[in-house]
Amino acid sequence: MEKAIMQKGRAPEEESATELAKEIKPGDTILDLVHVCRDFDKVKVIKDVSLQIKKDEFFTLVGPSGSGKTTILKMLAGMDQPTSGDIVLGGKSISTVPPDKRPTCMVFQFLALFPHMTVGENIEFPMKVKGIPGDKRCDRAYELMQLVSLPESYYKKNVMKCSGGERQRVAIARALAYDPEILLFDEPLSAIDAKLRKTLQKELKELHARSGKTFIYITHSLEEAMYMSDRVGVLCNGQLKQVGTPSEIYNHPVSRFVASFIGDTNIFKVGMTAAGSWACEDFPGMQIKVAPHGDDRDGYLVVRPENLRVMYEGAVPADNVISCHVRNAYSMGSRIQYQLMSGKKEIMLELTPRHDHGIKPGDTISLGWNADDAIFVTE
Amino acid sequence: MEYTKQGKHTAEFIWIWTIIVLGFIYLPVVCDGISSLSKGRYFSFPIKRWALDWWAKTVSSMEIGEIVRNSLLIAFVVTILSTIIGFCGALAFARFNWRGRKLFQKLILLPIFFPQPVLGLALLLLFNTAGITLSWHTAVFAHLIWITPVVTLVIAIQVYGFDPTLEVAARDLGASKFRIFREITLPLLWPGIWSGMLFAFLLSWGNFSLSLYTTGVDNTVPKWLYTKMIAGYTPMVPTLGTLSTLVAAAVMIIGGLCVWAVRKKQGRA
Repeated sequence: MEKAIMQKGRAPEEESATELAKEIKPGDTILDLVHVCRDFDKVKVIKDVSLQIKKDEFFTLVGPSGSGKTTILKMLAGMDQPTSGDIVLGGKSISTVPPDKRPTCMVFQFLALFPHMTVGENIEFPMKVKGIPGDKRCDRAYELMQLVSLPESYYKKNVMKCSGGERQRVAIARALAYDPEILLFDEPLSAIDAKLRKTLQKELKELHARSGKTFIYITHSLEEAMYMSDRVGVLCNGQLKQVGTPSEIYNHPVSRFVASFIGDTNIFKVGMTAAGSWACEDFPGMQIKVAPHGDDRDGYLVVRPENLRVMYEGAVPADNVISCHVRNAYSMGSRIQYQLMSGKKEIMLELTPRHDHGIKPGDTISLGWNADDAIFVTE
Repeated sequence: MEYTKQGKHTAEFIWIWTIIVLGFIYLPVVCDGISSLSKGRYFSFPIKRWALDWWAKTVSSMEIGEIVRNSLLIAFVVTILSTIIGFCGALAFARFNWRGRKLFQKLILLPIFFPQPVLGLALLLLFNTAGITLSWHTAVFAHLIWITPVVTLVIAIQVYGFDPTLEVAARDLGASKFRIFREITLPLLWPGIWSGMLFAFLLSWGNFSLSLYTTGVDNTVPKWLYTKMIAGYTPMVPTLGTLSTLVAAAVMIIGGLCVWAVRKKQGRA
């Protein structure tokens, strides 16, 4: 088998890139982005991104559209090259290695399934390219179909007759059939309806555990990223703003951008007064208690909507208390979100329906939070 | 209630209209066929004696055998060449972006609008000046000038509908450029290529204006029909005319069946 591949005249570097990737131990760095920049006609799309991705992890790059996440993915796949900087795999630069000679495989946004082939033929395509004999291909295709929960009868089904979710599975099975060390996902769930998306997210996470491959996923939804990933990188305007586990990103965002990317959050601009206490221009005359953080520069307090408490009579006292007028209530099923106004400042509050204290639009209520429930960021 | 009633009248009208249009188009062809079935030397209506004499004479005629062979040969060669040129041209302007692409797209349309008799005459003058003896070879060249743009456009429509990401995906899965072309690009563009080939064959088979000037001593079916009609009418004219129409229809039906078979194979459940 090995011999057959060599005889077909494949470049030796492909062997080495794939071999290198296989030799790396789980948990060690498999991909190393070193000061990667990418310019398109003098427009800097990627600005100095450095990042280490570990073998076997589920890493997600998240950012709004135009943040450069697809560009990074393309460079990892070999469909694009950095203008400067380097992409290193197992100590060897792979920046200029073409896509067919890398141990990576991409699951495309619109899947790019071959419409003139059956499910089986699609999955077997990369194995056919590698010169694996027909019966072995077929066995492996059935194995992979089982792995992604496709019924055996689909082997002979035309791929265009499959539903959206089924096509998704075919695309993943086809990518796995290439036997890559790293699977790249280009927002493949963005075109799928919300309910199915949740199911597929769960399946993808399970599949990651079962397959033992490195998954690199990109999405514009931080919620989706946090749901599936071991680690998340937040990208904005071509710069990597923060890399960390989902809980680090949620509980310790480094900036307002990262904090507000997850969804609605309250951000209060605070500054230190001459007297050495903290004040906020949204709440004039009020002294704000901020957890000590060893920095006296102006900054922002991030208070998550679920960390605000309603100060009903007899409630445990809070460090900071503000008075608000209730404007609107939005039911989200398991939670209710309230839109409130404190002076001219809009505030979001989230409660569970069982503990909503009977709040309705038009009410005036007191809200409180403790210094430890707020996050201080400088940018 | 009112709506359904109206709908019923509309449906009736569509049927009647369709029949009128079809009758209008096919009546001459039917008349042609009927006149070939008369026993008489000259055409008269109503037909007094029905016979297949002229069909027998036409089919066994050496002369007609040769011109049919000429027409088929020209159509065949034109189909092959125009499809190859048209396919490359269509890929060039529908898949790739290059300087002058838009201009090329417009220039390639021009020969279609150029009056064919003028084009034929111009080519005749060109061949004479260059000292090239006219034969079916020169006719192939003339046909190509007019038919290749048509084929290019027909294939380009299919190329526009082709998703280039499929090629990127195949490359990512390890396939070589040649394999991608053979297993991904070509099979998906095949319906367009097939339509282009059908167009090329039928347009060449029925072409008169260009053949008139450029075939030289080699005769083709449309050219023979024309010569016999202006001088020396024989009922072999409607017979060969009907035969020619039947050949064209057969090519279309066989072509259609092939496309249907391919679709069915691809669409297996």
